[in-house]
Amino acid sequence: MKNKSIYLALLGALIVFTTAFVGGSQAEAADKKYTIGTDLTFAPFEFKDSSNKTVGIDIDLLNAIAKDQNFDVDIKSIGFDSAIQQVQAGQIDGMIAGMTITDERKKSFDFSDPYFDSGIVMAISGENKEIKEYKDLKGKTVGAKVGTESATFIEKNKEKYGYNVKLLDTADTMYDMLYSGNLDAIFDDYPVIGYAITQGKDLKMVTDYERGGQYGFAVKKGTNPELIKKFNAGLKKLKANGTYDKILAKYIKSETTTKNTTETSIKPVKDEYVIGTDITFAPFEFSATNGEYQGIDIELLNAIAKNQGFTVKIQPIGFDTAVQQVQANQIDGMIAGMTITDERKKSFDFSSPYFDSGIVMAVAKKNKEISTYKDLKGKTVGAKVGTESADFIQKNKDKYGYKVKLVDTTDTMYQMIASGNMDAIFDDYPVIGYAVKQGQPLKMVTEKEKGGSYGFAVKKGTNPELIAMFNQGLKELKANGDYDKILNKYIDSAKKKDTAATVDESTFGGLLKNNYPSLLSGLGKTLSLTFISFAIAVVIGVLFGLMNVSNIKLLRFIATVYIDIIRGIPLLVLAMFIFIGIPNLAGFKINEMTAGIITLSLNAGAYIAEIVRGGIKAVPVGQTEAARSLGLSYGKTMQKIILPQAFKIMIPSFINQFVISLKDTTILSAIGLVELLQSGKIIIARNLQSFKVYLIISIIYIVVITTLTKLSGVIERRISKNG
Amino acid sequence: MAEKVIVENLVKKYGENTVLNSINTSIADGEVVCIIGPSGSGKSTFLRCLNRLEEPTSGSILIDGFDLTNKKTDINLVRQNIGMVFQHFNLFPHLSVLENITLAPTDLNKIDRAEAQKKAMDLLTMVGLVEKKDAYPESLSGGQKQRVAIARALAMNPDIMLFDEPTSALDPEMVGDVLNVMKKLAKDGMTMVIVTHEMGFAKEVADRVIFTDGGNFIEEGTPQAIFENPQNERTKSFLDKVLNI
Repeated sequence: MKNKSIYLALLGALIVFTTAFVGGSQAEAADKKYTIGTDLTFAPFEFKDSSNKTVGIDIDLLNAIAKDQNFDVDIKSIGFDSAIQQVQAGQIDGMIAGMTITDERKKSFDFSDPYFDSGIVMAISGENKEIKEYKDLKGKTVGAKVGTESATFIEKNKEKYGYNVKLLDTADTMYDMLYSGNLDAIFDDYPVIGYAITQGKDLKMVTDYERGGQYGFAVKKGTNPELIKKFNAGLKKLKANGTYDKILAKYIKSETTTKNTTETSIKPVKDEYVIGTDITFAPFEFSATNGEYQGIDIELLNAIAKNQGFTVKIQPIGFDTAVQQVQANQIDGMIAGMTITDERKKSFDFSSPYFDSGIVMAVAKKNKEISTYKDLKGKTVGAKVGTESADFIQKNKDKYGYKVKLVDTTDTMYQMIASGNMDAIFDDYPVIGYAVKQGQPLKMVTEKEKGGSYGFAVKKGTNPELIAMFNQGLKELKANGDYDKILNKYIDSAKKKDTAATVDESTFGGLLKNNYPSLLSGLGKTLSLTFISFAIAVVIGVLFGLMNVSNIKLLRFIATVYIDIIRGIPLLVLAMFIFIGIPNLAGFKINEMTAGIITLSLNAGAYIAEIVRGGIKAVPVGQTEAARSLGLSYGKTMQKIILPQAFKIMIPSFINQFVISLKDTTILSAIGLVELLQSGKIIIARNLQSFKVYLIISIIYIVVITTLTKLSGVIERRISKNG
Repeated sequence: MAEKVIVENLVKKYGENTVLNSINTSIADGEVVCIIGPSGSGKSTFLRCLNRLEEPTSGSILIDGFDLTNKKTDINLVRQNIGMVFQHFNLFPHLSVLENITLAPTDLNKIDRAEAQKKAMDLLTMVGLVEKKDAYPESLSGGQKQRVAIARALAMNPDIMLFDEPTSALDPEMVGDVLNVMKKLAKDGMTMVIVTHEMGFAKEVADRVIFTDGGNFIEEGTPQAIFENPQNERTKSFLDKVLNI
């Protein structure tokens, strides 16, 4: 990421340099008249009125800004594509043409601040009664304009809804084809459709609009920086004095009314939505002492689902896993105290923010030294990797002269502050607040930093109805006061509810008493994972081990390839690949237990194959010769003579591999499998007693593994005796 | 006497190294052939070619009319008629004496279990080890192991028995027991090919003695001819060394 931005900066500098050098005349552009290109046909942003004069939002806005900022513009209607080319060729100074700001375009253009939030929407003919949602598009023909966001959208969802795509050059053709029945539905930017309707086109919108990009005014990258500055300054001013709203209202009168009428008709598309959440983010989500999940996110989502009449299944799988699973289409969405960022918006569609967060500094309760950021000089300050807090402390490192330490989990952070390895920590303020109420010896000495807002997220371009329902539900919960009730329950009165548990869980006895069911169930998962996958691995291993000692070259080759591939992939990567990669490639879902069993089986199988090969090679060759000289076939020789002897040689290695497999199950906690380690992490996320819980878990592993090893030792001796 | 084994132009090479250099010979039904010669002369390799434990490089080997060098020949079927006894016994350590002997007959569906066990007991009587039937190989002495190995080979009712230095790995006092069993077999008319260093045994039992050196059959003939009147210089010097210790 860092490299990329350095690279972009260098590229930008290079372009600035070359353009300044080659086209030196542009440097004095300040007092000249700017020539700005625009589209021909993009009502209501630009279009010709009855007197053949170009009008529209873009035109009015640019003119108003030019007037306000005191520069001259010459607006040329030359079409979107040729405007792009002429800007890049230096023929014209800039363009305003309902142009969505994209990363791709940012490589060649410098954009102003967004002046309009767009989005795309589906429209059908006014008489059409068949189509009410995307699902009704099956077998229909759907149109959009070439090269637009709408075109990308309908191409992307073609398979999902089973329609045919037709891409056209102009809006007119699109409307004509819709009326003639050659198209059943069209997609276009929603202000465009909205305008068309107000202009009397016989169209209607039946679904909510898809959130889309933002429009920006653009110049060639590295040129006319003063123009962008003026545009931004002017835009701000027009927004402040109301001119901006007036211009918009002039062209898109019915925007809000159309939106409202469509919003009431949202219906769930799926019977059940599977939503991922974090396991470690109290008070937003955490497992209560009875093992059930609770928290603001959980209650809010359930309340919204109830309010909007859809069904959700919430899976606590961890933040990172949830992100991956949403992107892999394994789950439909996620709610996990997730801050809405531009970076994330590239891969996610977000709901309206449901919580305004922020970060705050905390120090040890007994710390009297630190009362402001300035006191941090020379101290060590911690935050969780990849969080807003981490960004914040990195940014201010030099300013206050402290050292930065980034850790993976909240409880590590608390441990380190307790042990004095950290002097101060930063985290989201509800999290710190909750920790203080849970009895962590922390205190807050400064005001919170204003931070991001949390949003509910789905994979970009999917489940639009879910976002719409969430937004609608959130609005209603806020209106009827339920939203505040949920928040108060966790942030204000968490003390009363959980003090009992906290006191109780600070002792081993209390910990075990409260948590033994979830620890036992985690242990059960661990053991069943190990036994099932080891049984499969033995079959795989014997098969590939035999192939590896075969006389047939091809079989040896296949076995070698399998063993090399599996041994060459770290187990965690293999697990990720199987769990996230395969569904992405093959298009079907694998639940985490299946993925875990496949991963462990493949992994242990490769090692067992090597054990089997080694065991077979360790049987003296005379055994084979004796058996073959009696007339026994290769297969019979293997089965009756070699394998029974090889097996005895292999037993210690098998036991060893079994123990390794059992320990390897912990890696599967990364894909959200609630085995023993993950059960423990969930408990820690609630009570923050990491040392005690990890100690308990370690003891469980030691007891189980030692017992199993001793047991197999007995079996081994018994087998040897019989031999 | 019918020809049991016909070997023509048998060549065996390991890479550039020629171990058998165009061997031609034939062995008659009921004949006892002893092969003698210095180490590395190719005698064991020749023996192992006769049941294709070694793949001949070229030439042909016909046994009872089966062409061993033809890939289509069912080698497992041919091997059932050729018993082999190894220098290091190669008993199956995970099976009892009785199981060692009955494994092949029962497994190749020749006879049922009871019959195989009866036959095994007869063979153990013959080699004098009935009381060891339930013992495991690790508890037997070398001589006992080799006698079990002979019984195991005989259990398949072979027409031909191949012995690859059967007494070389034995303590001297064990050798007699094993040789006695082999003499008994010879007397009963078994076709036998024996690679051995036991010159006295060869003199007494063999119908024909072959002296090998450097991958060639240097000289062959009756024991009297070879031991008392060797024609070739190399035969003479070899016999001088082994007989006059």
